[in-house]
Amino acid sequence: MNSYIKATDDSLHAMTRGMESPYLPFLGMVERSMRVSEKERFFSVAPSNESMLDYRPGQFFMVGLPGYGEAPISITSAPGEKRIELCIRAVGNLTNALHRLHKGDRMWLRGPFGRGFVLDELSGKDIIFVAGGIGIVPMRSLLKAVLAKKERFGKLTLIYGSKTPEEILFAEEMDGWRRDGMDVQLTVDKADAGWKGNTGVVTTLIPRVGVKDRNTLGVIIGPPVMYRFVILSLKAKGLGPEEIYMSLERRMKCGVGKCGHCQISSVYVCQCGPVFKMSEITGLPEAL
Amino acid sequence: MKKTHKFKYLPDKSFRQFIKGLVGSHRVYGPVEKDGHPAFGQISAPDDLVLSERPTHLSAKEFLFPQREVLLRFNMRSATHIPVIEAERQVLIGLHPCDIKGLSLMDRVFAGGVADPNYLARREHTIVIGADCMPDEYCFCQSLGNSEANEGFDLFLHRVSKGFLVRTGTEKGGELLLKHAEVREPSEKELKDLEERKKKRDSSFRAKIEASPAELPSIYARSDESAVWEKIGAICTGCGSCNNVCPTCYCFDVKDEVRPNLVEGERVRTWDGCTLEDFAKVAGGHNFRKTRAERLRHRFNRKFRYLSSTFDSLFCVGCGRCSRACLVKINIVDVTNELIHQSNGR
Repeated sequence: MNSYIKATDDSLHAMTRGMESPYLPFLGMVERSMRVSEKERFFSVAPSNESMLDYRPGQFFMVGLPGYGEAPISITSAPGEKRIELCIRAVGNLTNALHRLHKGDRMWLRGPFGRGFVLDELSGKDIIFVAGGIGIVPMRSLLKAVLAKKERFGKLTLIYGSKTPEEILFAEEMDGWRRDGMDVQLTVDKADAGWKGNTGVVTTLIPRVGVKDRNTLGVIIGPPVMYRFVILSLKAKGLGPEEIYMSLERRMKCGVGKCGHCQISSVYVCQCGPVFKMSEITGLPEAL
Repeated sequence: MKKTHKFKYLPDKSFRQFIKGLVGSHRVYGPVEKDGHPAFGQISAPDDLVLSERPTHLSAKEFLFPQREVLLRFNMRSATHIPVIEAERQVLIGLHPCDIKGLSLMDRVFAGGVADPNYLARREHTIVIGADCMPDEYCFCQSLGNSEANEGFDLFLHRVSKGFLVRTGTEKGGELLLKHAEVREPSEKELKDLEERKKKRDSSFRAKIEASPAELPSIYARSDESAVWEKIGAICTGCGSCNNVCPTCYCFDVKDEVRPNLVEGERVRTWDGCTLEDFAKVAGGHNFRKTRAERLRHRFNRKFRYLSSTFDSLFCVGCGRCSRACLVKINIVDVTNELIHQSNGR
């Protein structure tokens, strides 16, 4: 950390030595790299810095590679696990390069950043988790954390929508989630011959969920276009602005409230979010 | 004991000595003549410095927050990196009150929350010497209460006949002045000269915001739905000039530049601008501020509303640079006054 170059004198060295730069990445060793769908790859990563394992569901890392830059990537493992798990969709230069990493390769990590879910706030409640597309990736972190302490929660329902049956992620884990008592409901936009489940957007499944008066929370994570519609459906179920949580996606370059890309009004999503309660973003015109 | 005055008189001849002294011990940047306009550049001799009363095209932010700076050097093969902090002892001279206010706001941004060591190292090694100015038709710092600098400088030079009245802002500045220049207590005549110049300047402002600075955040808060945004969005070319010239626009991009050997490279931070189309676009293609109207509304609100509670100040200093640089003549004073009229009309 103290091999600064181009510093012009000793006093500069002395001054900056004690200060931790938020822009310096740590190494993560890839222990598993597994293609899980046409566009997504799953990674299990051992971080060089143990403190990086201290995160909450909903937080994210700035994941990078030298030469390719960085992007905010959700954590899909749950707190307490010894590895950081990521599930990354290949959409650009960086993520395509990340897809070429295999066991023994290294990636760069900064974080964890942001405000995640606070389990104590959710406990005692019935919860409807609504995930769309790769929204299931950060949702999985929360689901695993909640299921690990399932006695503290009421009725748990996951509604997860994908474009096609092939794009459903973590399908192999869902029997386990069901055994733990969660009602898992899947839907696809476009069914194929083998699909026996629901067809249609996630909001087609929400009206069927039984909601007990004032004891239900909703959690939404999905593509930007999904939020307005899911919020309407949850509102129709009687959920209010204090009872709907969501994680917002934004462009980010720093993770520490400086670069400006994730700003909504006076809110920096990288620090104040990405997890927000509906009431916290009501009145911000660009939030949804 | 005779009380010493807050000003010291620095005659022109001694001022040249002072600049020579500075140039000998620091890198010195100040306004130079460039294509007939004042622009910040490096000063290597007293004659290079043109203490222009007119505003420079760009602000002084580039000396603390450069348009491009290296954050780290990396090796792709070993996935290792070396942190980089580029900083040098520098003197910034000829900064007007708007520039000084701009730097003090940048200080709050980069020192606040998670501190930014790259900026702070530069700041620590920078001496700021202010100088007087005269407003042009775009300057409106007076409307925002920024027409005089009371802090944020090490020295401030007030022009008077045949010399300067120098105000000392920090101990460091005072020592620098005594080390490189001969000064004396000012005469009554010189103090009167300064007073008259100040009066003339105070009455020279033409651009005016028609509300007090304290009212502006709430006026902007009532203006999200104003038709003004569509109106200026329709003519904005999205060029980002307003972001570039603004002394308080601090948004940045970070990208990797790989050398031709395809092994080594640098992670660099460059200025970015919220008026550019892709600024709020995410990887899946969704743009959270799709239209120019939305992007302009965001920029104007950042100056007058969004950051005011976090940093306890408006983020517009009244320099008028965005209006001066705008290709389609969007004027920040006119826009703000229109919002004020609409807001009062309700």
